Amino acid sequence: MANPSPSGPILSAQNLCVESLGGKERFPVLTDLNFTLEPGKILGLVGESGAGKSMIGRTISQFLPHGFAVTKGTLKFDGEDLVGMGADRRRDLLGRDIAFIPQEPLSGLNPVLSVGQQMKEHLLRIGLQPGESWKLRALKEFEAVHLPHGAALLDKYPHQLSGGMCQRILIAMAFASRPRLLIADEPTTALDVTIQARIIKLIGEMQRRDGTAVIFITHDLRLASQISDEIMVLYAGRPAERGPAKQLFSDPAHPYTRCLQLANPNISGPRRGLFILPERMPGLRVLKELKGCRFASRCPNVMEACTQTEPPLADIGPNHIAACIRTEKTPDIVPPPLAPGREIASANIHFNGERLTKAYTTAWSPFASRSSFKAVNSVDFTLGEGEFVGIVGESGSGKSSLARLVVGLDTPTDGKITLAGRDVTANRNADKAFRRDYIQMVFQDPQSALNPRRRIGSIVTQANEATGLLNSHRERMVRAAELLKEIGLPPDAAMRFPSQLSGGQKQRVNIARALCTLPKILVADEIVSGLDVSVQAQLLDLLLKLRDEHGFSMLFISHDLSVVRYLCDRVMVMYRGEVVESGRTEAVFSKPQHDYTRSLLAAVPPDDVNSEWSPVLAEAGYQVE
Amino acid sequence: MRPLPLWLKSGRVQTGLVIIFILGICAIFAPYLAPNDPNEQNLLAILTPPAWADGGDLMFPLGTDSLGRCVLSRLIFGARVALTVAFTASVGAMIIGATLAHIAGYFGGWIDWLIGRVVEIWLSFPPVILSLILMVGLGTGLRNVVVAIILVDWTRFCRVLRSEVIVLRRRDYVSAAQLVGFSHWRTITREILPGTLPLLITLMSLEMGVAVIVEAILSFVGMSVGSETPAWGQMIADARQNIYEAPFNLIAPILAIFFAVFGFNILGDGLRRTLDTRLTQTERT
Ligand SMILES: Nc1ncnc2c1ncn2[C@@H]1O[C@H](COP(=O)(O)OP(=O)(O)O)[C@@H](O)[C@H]1O
Ligand code: SF4
Ligand SMILES: [Mg+2]
Repeated sequence: MANPSPSGPILSAQNLCVESLGGKERFPVLTDLNFTLEPGKILGLVGESGAGKSMIGRTISQFLPHGFAVTKGTLKFDGEDLVGMGADRRRDLLGRDIAFIPQEPLSGLNPVLSVGQQMKEHLLRIGLQPGESWKLRALKEFEAVHLPHGAALLDKYPHQLSGGMCQRILIAMAFASRPRLLIADEPTTALDVTIQARIIKLIGEMQRRDGTAVIFITHDLRLASQISDEIMVLYAGRPAERGPAKQLFSDPAHPYTRCLQLANPNISGPRRGLFILPERMPGLRVLKELKGCRFASRCPNVMEACTQTEPPLADIGPNHIAACIRTEKTPDIVPPPLAPGREIASANIHFNGERLTKAYTTAWSPFASRSSFKAVNSVDFTLGEGEFVGIVGESGSGKSSLARLVVGLDTPTDGKITLAGRDVTANRNADKAFRRDYIQMVFQDPQSALNPRRRIGSIVTQANEATGLLNSHRERMVRAAELLKEIGLPPDAAMRFPSQLSGGQKQRVNIARALCTLPKILVADEIVSGLDVSVQAQLLDLLLKLRDEHGFSMLFISHDLSVVRYLCDRVMVMYRGEVVESGRTEAVFSKPQHDYTRSLLAAVPPDDVNSEWSPVLAEAGYQVE
Repeated sequence: MRPLPLWLKSGRVQTGLVIIFILGICAIFAPYLAPNDPNEQNLLAILTPPAWADGGDLMFPLGTDSLGRCVLSRLIFGARVALTVAFTASVGAMIIGATLAHIAGYFGGWIDWLIGRVVEIWLSFPPVILSLILMVGLGTGLRNVVVAIILVDWTRFCRVLRSEVIVLRRRDYVSAAQLVGFSHWRTITREILPGTLPLLITLMSLEMGVAVIVEAILSFVGMSVGSETPAWGQMIADARQNIYEAPFNLIAPILAIFFAVFGFNILGDGLRRTLDTRLTQTERT
């Protein structure tokens, strides 16, 4: 089943154009797509969400949304035309010669079928060796992706497994047919760093074993540059730059690539400021009318000539092209200086938690005895005035449970909480009232944190509704307008519903609600995970600006170490409910003391493309799964 | 001008609403719409066939029954009993079921356990047997029919709504509301109830159909309203003796019941489809 045709590219696109034909107007979704992918090579696709990355994957599988069609150009898989190919032949290729790994591991597996049933179905479809039983084969494939206890796994259902494990199963399935092309659409975005590192390593290992060509879709340029041979940066449906991965990353030619790179905080060396890409990528319908460069509205190097005609994708080096007429100016784009005035007078302690412990017990029943498990175990920490403290650790390490204790959504089973000198451990009604003026929370998932049936204006002033202050509708709307201005949303957003906002805008609303009563402490749980780096940079900037204005302190939970390094003064590393290391951020990150901290740091792709990324320490005894 | 809400655009919902509207008009304006007094016995015109058949009389468009009462008038007045039971019983069952569902799902713990067990025990009785036992205990009468339906069917609301409440309760916006100081009552009514409302309305309209059938059964066996009030179940019972001479007397109330139940069910089904998809659209985008 190995590569039948060793010569020639596996996938090649020429002047490929995908358009939306359905609906009232016709507009291009992908334009000017040219690339070739050789067997065994990895092509990284990078860009903000909505840039068209997933659309390329869907074009290859000819699984376009209703009303979308290829209107120009060719797309060939191993010399065969993918666009004009018959449905039978395509079905034959997909899942066997072309495999997929989706972004959401859970969406790739059927929730009502056991892992074994799905594995069996897949293996029978791709065909077994004569005399081979599907079970043995399944176990063999599981072993290849380092899934222990494969036999027990077959009876499990997807919801009983962690995200990382589901992703491993999907990888096992994808590689079971020894595909010639693999399309991985943000396979690690939903996972945390250590698991991301392991999954990436695994994909690399399998890819080398079978000589598979890979299209790796991600919004993380740094990650893409580590694992890809070539990178294509997409902007609003058109390549902005394409080139060899290392060269593109160390010497970006297109301003967009450079901005993306500078929007991500660095993990080593001195901290630098973040480049804030303003606004958002223009919508595809707007682009149709646009004459010049599609990046012009956000480009720091824009000039008159840019807005006249669309810049062609010109050669700027061997195998390196960029759609910009002033590439020589790109290196001039520099990050802004770090915000000054980060001196923290932490003498004034706002929050003090001693030996905080939370044991969760199983559901109440008078007959069964309830088993319990310590999600947070004897954690001590303080928050000083204006101080930003980060908590890092992989999922399941107890970060969110600690956050719930701090804000008072849960009561600790042991330990003591003092807020501004007052003991609020018992969390009685009076304590709660005291707490809510003092401490507020920004939630992780903006989808679930905003009531879809409330208007934005009502969400951000929810705190007033509860206290009875500012009860009149007019007063609330005035306050809502103030808050929206502060977090950088237009005033007319007040009348909209959450579903009408983008992910970044929702997260701003989430912050505004917590800020409404001007608390002294904010607890932020993974509020930038899963967002584009450009949106992430905007939000981090906003938090620093708001601190300057209101002087609150913050407990900032994240699994992204570079973000914590950028934002926080101190950091605590959590592992299985305990704090294993804490200290000044710079100190902890430059001289980690604990093995677990070291393994976390090693899992982050390095800033320098030429230094080897070897997340080996991640395997050194600190396994969560 | 606001566009029509999605659910109102559904053909099913429109059909259901039109049917219920027609029935409602019949019930409210029965004295003006009915050609005759529904209880007036006209012994000179017994078992008159419908007006379009041989020997029909335009005085009695749908003919008369064995006591010479106008079938059409009785049908129109019968809508009053059917709709009264449908609305009061489903509202009652909804209030009890939804209240307990929200309490159980929101507070969890032993309260949830207790309510869950009560529902389970309740559901272990077959509903028809349970309602007959209740009717024997309570005695006949319209009010008792309603009480019996409520007591039997609140579990239907409770069980389905409870799982929906549990899903919504885990949303972060519920935690956020508690954090800004919402009381439990306020959190339930302002944050959770708006989310369960679509399901609640759907269940209610399905329940109305069920109530119409149950009332018809009970009035068929003579446990509902007295003979002085016309009811569809009663008309079926009365028509049984003359099934061969006047089949239409039997068919007419059956069609009326079918018409009403169809209206409620298609409305419920349409609401389920449209309200549910709206829910998934806003929550998944
Ligand atoms: N099912 C769909 N129907 C209509 N438009 C879609 C659909 N899926 C994606 N799009 C549009 O296509 C463009 C590219 O989307 P996508 O490929 O998902 O971007 P990315 O993967 O880079 O985030 C976006 O403007 C998006 O709104
Ligand atoms: S062409 Fe002009 S606007 Fe476009 S990326 Fe280059 S410098 Fe910026
Ligand atoms: Mg995508």
